[in-house]
Amino acid sequence: MMHAVKIAHSVKRSHLDLLLVAVAGLGLAGCNYEGGDPRKEIGANPPLPALQQYLIPPIHVAKVAAWGKETPTVPEGLQVHALATGFEHPRSLYVLPNGDVLVVESNGPKAPIYRPKDIVTNWVTWLAGAAAKGGNRITLLRANGDGTPELRTTFLDHLNSPFGVALVGNDLYVANTDAIVRYPYQDGQTSITAPGTKLTDLPGGPIDHHWTKSLLASPDGSKLYVGVGSNSNITENGIGAEYERAAVWEVDRASGAHRIFASGLRNPTGLAWEPETHKLWAVVNERDEIGPDLVPDYLTSVQDGAFYGWPYSYYGQHLDPRVQPQRPDLVATAVPPDYALSSHVAPLGVAMYAGTNLPANYRGGAFVSEHGSWDRTPLNGYKVVFVPFSGGKPSGPAQDVVTGFLDANNQARGRPVGLAVDRSGGLLVADDLGDTVWRVSSNDPRSASSN
Amino acid sequence: MQDTGLTDTTFTGGTNARSTAKPSGQPIHPIVAAFSIACFAGAFVTDFVYWRTVAVMWETLSDWLITAGLIIAGVAVIAFVIDLVGRKQVRTPAWPYAVGYALAVLLSLVNAFVHSRDAYTAVVPTGLMLSGLVVVILLFTGWVGSALVYRHRVGVST
Repeated sequence: MMHAVKIAHSVKRSHLDLLLVAVAGLGLAGCNYEGGDPRKEIGANPPLPALQQYLIPPIHVAKVAAWGKETPTVPEGLQVHALATGFEHPRSLYVLPNGDVLVVESNGPKAPIYRPKDIVTNWVTWLAGAAAKGGNRITLLRANGDGTPELRTTFLDHLNSPFGVALVGNDLYVANTDAIVRYPYQDGQTSITAPGTKLTDLPGGPIDHHWTKSLLASPDGSKLYVGVGSNSNITENGIGAEYERAAVWEVDRASGAHRIFASGLRNPTGLAWEPETHKLWAVVNERDEIGPDLVPDYLTSVQDGAFYGWPYSYYGQHLDPRVQPQRPDLVATAVPPDYALSSHVAPLGVAMYAGTNLPANYRGGAFVSEHGSWDRTPLNGYKVVFVPFSGGKPSGPAQDVVTGFLDANNQARGRPVGLAVDRSGGLLVADDLGDTVWRVSSNDPRSASSN
Repeated sequence: MQDTGLTDTTFTGGTNARSTAKPSGQPIHPIVAAFSIACFAGAFVTDFVYWRTVAVMWETLSDWLITAGLIIAGVAVIAFVIDLVGRKQVRTPAWPYAVGYALAVLLSLVNAFVHSRDAYTAVVPTGLMLSGLVVVILLFTGWVGSALVYRHRVGVST
């Protein structure tokens, strides 16, 4: 018996040393969650720190609070009010030629549990208030003189996680998560009951990690551009699941045929035409879990045929070691994006401002809604910023325009998603946590229209 | 557990209590623990295959095997406590097993976090090394434990 005790004792000691090493490893992994100043990584060629791999995944979601009677904050010269409230997860906005506003109420399909991690991820999504059921419908708002809607109708119902909307002539296209569907639309119509016609399938389930399909019609109306997000953070569902994803599609409106217009764009959630050069621009959500300051989400022009890196690399040739096998041939061609918005802000909407209601300094630039970070400390995003443009290119640092989505205690009252400019030049902001559509307008009576 | 205690003191008693408990006193925790050990060993195999094939299915299998192993290990700990409280006959040289197993479970817990990373670096190299180390520890523990029993005849009545 003594013998046994002796052996056990020595075994225990050597194991204890190992155990201490393991515990120290856990402790070390707890550090380095703190991100730097996000303002330093805004603009072209942001600094990219060395990537780090976590032991315990970084999770920092803002607790959910209510707006009550408060509103977001806007700078001097602007005013903001709730255009309408009480939506079911309003995600994107579209303004029809007659001024009617379409509010797409939507959320992703139920995420399948493929790995133990998915259970945790689903829980975090719920914690952030992002698991709320989407309406799967489009609501129409018709504004009257005082900026409040005089009419509110269900425009289209029973959709499948819709996001993008585009009108070409009398054809209204809705990008569900799995298909583009065309509906007949007449000016002034307040609801559509006609059955839709499928133009083309889009990559949907069963995983459908990034489910939103942004939609933009070409100026001549012959093509539709579709932002299709990746099916994973960084190919953890296998490269096969990424077929024709992480790309902007160009869909021929007549035939429904498509080609990949640009690829390597992890999650292009918003598309817009730059008003001066008429080039296609997109906001893109970059990869997670390699550091609080990696990888900056971005706003970029989308060049025909270009490859932007995902999944193999980011910002040109910065390799991601999580992707195997690598593709040096593709990485060599990877185009760095034009303008970093800083890491994990989650840009989900972009609107190039061609209106006249807002002060002159906003004309020609891009508003970008930043849904807000969930894996970074301190929180980043949770606001709408403005990126000034000159000669068709970003020409300065991003300015905060709509803030206050986080309250003084860093609790989220709202999270901005879709953006649109209404007929009278006001900026509309969909808030999918506060279930509200906000309208930002000039408070100068000379430029502010009565709308 | 209260029942068992009552039974011991009520119906047996005196000096015969321990010996009469023996036939029905087989501990349950080693049976449970064996299943978790199988999961951890399996995870090493699937990690190894993932490393060679980079087919994501194997990594997913590793994730679930390690998770299942940890859950079963939790059940084994509960079973161990039940065995102790129930005064089942816990094998005499239990400490090498307990320490080795505890270390394997702890490293597997770390490994579960490593495996929660996305794609290749969830396995290569850290995850694969941890899976391998766990198997080595469990083999070593088994060898030390059985050496105590069979070579040094510890805990074996003669």
